[in-house]
Amino acid sequence: MAVIETRDLRKTYGTLEALKGVSISVEPGQIYGLLGQNGAGKTTLIKILLGIVRKTAGEAELLGAPAGTVNVRRRVGYLPEDHQFPYYHTGRSLMDFYGQLYGVSPDDRKRKIPEALELVGIAGRMNSKIKTYSKGMKQRLGIAQALLHDPDLIILDEPTDGVDPMGRKEIRELMARLKDKGHTIFLNSHLLGEVELVCDRVAILQRGEVVREGTVAELTKATDKFRLRLGEGQAFPTDVVARLGYAVAPLAERPGTFEVTLASGQTIDPVVRLLVEGGLSLRELVEKKESLEDVFMKTVEGAEPGVDQKVRTVQQVQRVRAVGGEG
Amino acid sequence: MTQFVAILKDSFREAVDGFVIYAMLGLSALVILIVGSASFEPVEPDKAFQSIAQRFNVHFPNKGASRVVSASLRNENKYAAQDVAAAGDGYKLRLTVKARSGTVTNDEHDPAGGDSFRKAVAAWAKPPGSTVKAADLAKSFGGKKGEEAAQNVPDIELSFERNATPEEQRAVTDADMAEFLVAQFRTHAGTSATVARAAGVAEPEYAFDVTAAGGAAVRGWPHKMEMFFGAVTVSEGTNLGQVLWIIEDRIINGLGAAVLLLIGVIITAFFIPNMMRKGSIDLMLSKPIGRTQLLVYKYVGGLTFVFLVTAFTVGGIWLVLAARSGYWDPGFLAVIPILTFQFAIVYALSALVAVVTRSAIAAMVLSIGFMLFLYVIGQVKTLFDVFRASPRPERVPDWAYNLVDGLNNVMPRYKDLDKLTTKMIADGTLTDAERIVPGLTAIDYPSWGATFGVSLAFIVLALVLASWRFRTRDQ
Ligand SMILES: Nc1ncnc2c1ncn2[C@@H]1O[C@H](COP(=O)(O)OP(=O)(O)OP(=O)(O)O)[C@@H](O)[C@H]1O
Ligand SMILES: [Mg+2]
Repeated sequence: MAVIETRDLRKTYGTLEALKGVSISVEPGQIYGLLGQNGAGKTTLIKILLGIVRKTAGEAELLGAPAGTVNVRRRVGYLPEDHQFPYYHTGRSLMDFYGQLYGVSPDDRKRKIPEALELVGIAGRMNSKIKTYSKGMKQRLGIAQALLHDPDLIILDEPTDGVDPMGRKEIRELMARLKDKGHTIFLNSHLLGEVELVCDRVAILQRGEVVREGTVAELTKATDKFRLRLGEGQAFPTDVVARLGYAVAPLAERPGTFEVTLASGQTIDPVVRLLVEGGLSLRELVEKKESLEDVFMKTVEGAEPGVDQKVRTVQQVQRVRAVGGEG
Repeated sequence: MTQFVAILKDSFREAVDGFVIYAMLGLSALVILIVGSASFEPVEPDKAFQSIAQRFNVHFPNKGASRVVSASLRNENKYAAQDVAAAGDGYKLRLTVKARSGTVTNDEHDPAGGDSFRKAVAAWAKPPGSTVKAADLAKSFGGKKGEEAAQNVPDIELSFERNATPEEQRAVTDADMAEFLVAQFRTHAGTSATVARAAGVAEPEYAFDVTAAGGAAVRGWPHKMEMFFGAVTVSEGTNLGQVLWIIEDRIINGLGAAVLLLIGVIITAFFIPNMMRKGSIDLMLSKPIGRTQLLVYKYVGGLTFVFLVTAFTVGGIWLVLAARSGYWDPGFLAVIPILTFQFAIVYALSALVAVVTRSAIAAMVLSIGFMLFLYVIGQVKTLFDVFRASPRPERVPDWAYNLVDGLNNVMPRYKDLDKLTTKMIADGTLTDAERIVPGLTAIDYPSWGATFGVSLAFIVLALVLASWRFRTRDQ
């Protein structure tokens, strides 16, 4: 049974269609990433799952219960975006308060709260008022409160927002550990590199529609391009390689490095053999894959513009063209 | 239940985070201290009983059951207390009465009749007979002075013992006299007494042996009251109950309660809007708790907070007042639940405004406005009721009466709750005479049922609307 299941989920705010028929399915034990530009509808989707906003049409299920069911929320941990914790709490008292709401027993709270805060690295400040916390500390607290009651599903809306690089790494590791323990994680993020590192599956949301969906491996498939570099002072035999029938070109951004593009049916092996047999020393051989960022950029560029900014850019481009007379 | 306690504790944490609550508790502590600085020194027993005996010319017919004030205009009977001595918990004394003989009415004499004391006892045992309104009597003195006096007298009826016939006066027994005097001690001093007629004096003079129970801490015992640990003398010989009444009702239940409610409204106005702020509400709504429940818990959290502050303040004042005066009046404690209920009315509106506008300022301003509005409606209604009962009702057009009556009928009975606490405090402190003579018992007290019923209906309605709005809106 899927942990999250939506079918043709729709949401309109007034006249604005925030979700236009989203169908996704998240299996237990996965880390699932939802990508998309600002305003694509990622947060809206999460809020519907938790019953914070009401869906307009379609179906949404969480752990087998209709989204918004009070009791199912006991088994979900949630880190909202732009959260404002009650300023009058300390980190510890807030965790205690939320723990009580989730029905965590007093003994468990006593034990788990310092543990969870330790895990996100703010145990040292747990008795200070939240109003004295830095942005990243609040974010870490937000993650801790989403884990406290040992939920089956953890929903994180931009978990690394405001967290320093070290902290981001820690959070990635934490997610991997949670996954190992059998938790399912659903995550929204703009940091594509990060998503690529931790997620099993991703969906790209564009103006309320899922435009790409699949495992990270599926999306970032090989591109039939190889990067090669020879030892210091050795000249790359461009002509010879080209005569073999391979497209080859020097990489402008990395002097001394060449890119070989395979045509269909070709492998890189003949090129490697040629170089080695020619007495040249191969220092670098990298099969170029598309990064998630490439995939995302391509997807997004192909689609309709997502936010105002983009529209303006297009207009500017048009204006520049008009001025240049290329029109 | 755990969730409820958790939200309650959260509300408390929020309340004690600001300085307002400390200012408020400080103010409460100060008031308790000031009240505690009051000292109540009973007047010496012989003077006190002398003072109490002077009041006996006023009585209430039908053996005290009537609210009509009966008196002889000329204070015909001269009551005096003598040989006052402590006896056990109470006092022993001799009460003497010097009456005028042969009195039938205030004007007629009948040598065959009894005397003015027998007449008083006989009239006391009967229904009042012919009565006159105090205001009409004042007017009958004539002229502008009379008119003015009529405005100022309480709304009571008077009777003048004219209905005790000579036969009835002669039929009065020693036991009747004793019963009358026992009732007078209760009515004028709030103390129970045993009375037996003593021999040795000839009519129209009488003597009685009296034992009065209770110490000096009884309602009608005159006390010297000082403030600030004796620095200021407030009164030399006012009845203890009167002083307590002024402190409890006029100062604490009147002024103090208004301040307390105002500060309570200000502090609690933030609870719901803060929860509903962007960024906070998602955190709350993602917890396993329903929205209606959340709202109701928050509402009850506000109530509990005000209840505790009220209990601290009123309870503290009650304790020091009782400790300093020796008189324990549990009626004053009724202020705690009633004040909380008054707050519950205003806070229901505050919750509704908070859910609709999400603004603490709006909730605060509208709640205070609503409080004022209810107060004014109540005041105008009271005033109109007086107008209506007066001989010149044409002062106000009919539609104004109807408007105020209508509003008063549908609005929560904020002012009525004030009246009811006033009554409870009066019942707990003042002697019967002190309540009947100023017309306090002649007031039409609102019924508890209607007062609470209509107010409760309002609270429920406001909360249902708030909860409906909260549930149907996307956050
Ligand atoms: N309460 C609301 N009322 C009206 N419109 C809303 C509301 N919440 C979101 N929207 C609109 O719905 C669309 C999707 O918003 P959403 O917050 O889901 O985007 P997002 O993908 O999470 O964006 P971001 O990356 O900036 O967080 C946006 O156009 C937004 O303006
Ligand atoms: Mg978002």
